[in-house]
Amino acid sequence: MKALQQNLTALEGADTQVLGVSMDSPFSNFAFAQQNGISFPILGDWGGPVTSRYGLTQKLDIQGVPMETARRATFLIDKSGKIINEQVDDDALDPTKTVEVCERQKTKK
Amino acid sequence: MKRERMRIISVGILNLALVLSSPSVLQTQHKPQNKVEKAAAPMKLKVGDAAPDFTLLAFDGKDLKKVSLRDYKGKKNVALAFFVFAFTGG
Repeated sequence: MKALQQNLTALEGADTQVLGVSMDSPFSNFAFAQQNGISFPILGDWGGPVTSRYGLTQKLDIQGVPMETARRATFLIDKSGKIINEQVDDDALDPTKTVEVCERQKTKK
Repeated sequence: MKRERMRIISVGILNLALVLSSPSVLQTQHKPQNKVEKAAAPMKLKVGDAAPDFTLLAFDGKDLKKVSLRDYKGKKNVALAFFVFAFTGG
């Protein structure tokens, strides 16, 4: 999330809205955003219906305790609603590729 | 005889210390705790697919606001970033 924030100007400059999503409540996401200087909205997917629709629900076993959470992933969706890039797991930590594709999209038109 | 036994024990302790302090042993000790059951599973949605619409809530410090993917249709690209949990880094 912090890496996306650092690239926010570039992404917004390329006509892109950044939206974070996690299976936390909207309230904890707001506290998290404040604590980390994140200015884009972080949506609360409580219970994970959207995470599941995007095929990202993963079952973790944390010290023997089963937990359902989201797999880390960044989808870039164009203005027509089509997915034009996806970065998954560790690849989603670095937004460079997402920024690149956004900027290429901008020069296309 | 006694001295010999002492020597063997002290060499044994030294070996154990070396094995325990090597990074590979430390890593394998920590790995199973946060194990992902299905590593690198194929993605359900692929590049070129239509992104499923959704409506979720975001809190801005005062109000809860509905945010839908369709709000941005024809206006902006959307970088939709799923992450594991709030407060977990990244």
